[in-house]
Amino acid sequence: MMSGDVLIKRSAPFLACLGLLFAWQVFSLALRNDSFPTALEAIRAIPSILGDKEALVNILASLRRMAVGFGLAVAVSIPLGLLMGRSRAVASFFNPLLMVIYPVPKAALMPIIMLWLGVGDVAKTLVIFLGVSLPVIYHSFEGAKSVEEKMLWSGAAMGLTAPRRLVRIVLPAALPEILTGCRTGLVLALITMITSEMIARQSGAGNILFNALDMGQYDTVFAMIIIVGAMGIGLDALFERLRARLVRWSEPQFDVPLSFS
Amino acid sequence: MNTRAVTADLLLGLVPIALLIAVWQALVSFGYAPVTLLPPPGYVFARMLHQLMTDTFQQEIAATLFRLFTGFFVAVLLGVTIGLAAAANPAINAVVRPIVRVLAPLPKVALYPALLLLVGFGHESKITLVAADAVFPILLSTYYGASIVEQKLIWSAMAAGTPPREILFKVVLPAAAPSILTGCRIGLVISCIVVFLAEMITSTDGLGHVLVTAARTFRAVDMFVPLITISLLGLILNGLLEALRSYLLRGFPEV
Repeated sequence: MMSGDVLIKRSAPFLACLGLLFAWQVFSLALRNDSFPTALEAIRAIPSILGDKEALVNILASLRRMAVGFGLAVAVSIPLGLLMGRSRAVASFFNPLLMVIYPVPKAALMPIIMLWLGVGDVAKTLVIFLGVSLPVIYHSFEGAKSVEEKMLWSGAAMGLTAPRRLVRIVLPAALPEILTGCRTGLVLALITMITSEMIARQSGAGNILFNALDMGQYDTVFAMIIIVGAMGIGLDALFERLRARLVRWSEPQFDVPLSFS
Repeated sequence: MNTRAVTADLLLGLVPIALLIAVWQALVSFGYAPVTLLPPPGYVFARMLHQLMTDTFQQEIAATLFRLFTGFFVAVLLGVTIGLAAAANPAINAVVRPIVRVLAPLPKVALYPALLLLVGFGHESKITLVAADAVFPILLSTYYGASIVEQKLIWSAMAAGTPPREILFKVVLPAAAPSILTGCRIGLVISCIVVFLAEMITSTDGLGHVLVTAARTFRAVDMFVPLITISLLGLILNGLLEALRSYLLRGFPEV
């Protein structure tokens, strides 16, 4: 009985995927619109995109930029967020700046950054970096703020210096919250990657998607949507596994990330 | 916290913003960046003030705000309804949960081409995209807020003879309000970002379109103006939501 429940729980997301694809199929058959291919037609177009060497190289280059931007952002944002959470001065120093930056779409900075850095990898990676940093900073901040004071006091009483307290006590205690931020950041990295490539039409997955739209290759458009969507869901599922291993002791607050753009 | 500490914090917080503007000015003054690529801050702010006075720019802002608000309200309506329903009913929960799990990490911008093809290039496609992106944080925080409502509250309402349907509106909804409003705040920031992006992709008006037009004609000043405008809009809307929150949550314990 128990294993049956687990089986249903595990397979529920797959069933949801199938259900959505099925709804798409029915909807497109009912609509009979030339610019809206059926799910089967779109899926049939996927091998021709992934089989094309140039397209594959482009998509992999996109993923590489995303990984670099995401890695850099996490490496900078977690220490900053933790410091902000533990020191009021640091928090009030950075908070208004972050408030001002928050509602600005990071991908919209692309045209300006392109003027300075060109359309190459640096500009796109920088935009991804900016997009990922904010949620990671915010969640690390929240996580570090809610660390139990008593643990810090006992750490101090046992002779841990302030930097070591930050690494040995605050970091592990805030880890569940930090990982929630990283998960949001991961989805965001993907979104920023697509939009930045859509603006700087040169290479990458976003370029393939929007070029196909402009040229009216609707099969390719929808196939790319499936590929990008699968990337998002796949990366999210992978990260969820990693998170479950790292913080086995903590129940997740949400089992799905709050997505940002 | 006394007012003096708050003012000190505020002053400290203005330092990085002032520094940023100073570095910006220095880059231009000392000739590290040509004026065509990085216009001086004074020029940009003067240009912005001038633009804010003109009719055309106000219309662009109005178009952006219209899409932003419509999309956001659709998202609030859908998010709160579905979130409450999923928290109240296990059958709905079983259906909604996996679908949300699949759809939430999906990059919605990638769906925009499909929306364009299905509902056209007008307001509808942008509003749908805004709603699709903003709905998930609202839905999730509603669900979370509603599912941690204290059982004793519901029991006492039942003991006092409240019918089940009214419990949802009289007990669960108010108890979940702080969490819902947090979700709305995230959703609002997302709406700002998404509406701008959608207008950048295809549009004939709105702030995003202003940016794209400026980028195509290499007018750097006009590229900064819409970006600063959307940042200010975000700040103002956030402030308004904060005011609404403290009005709605008067009497709640500080969360």
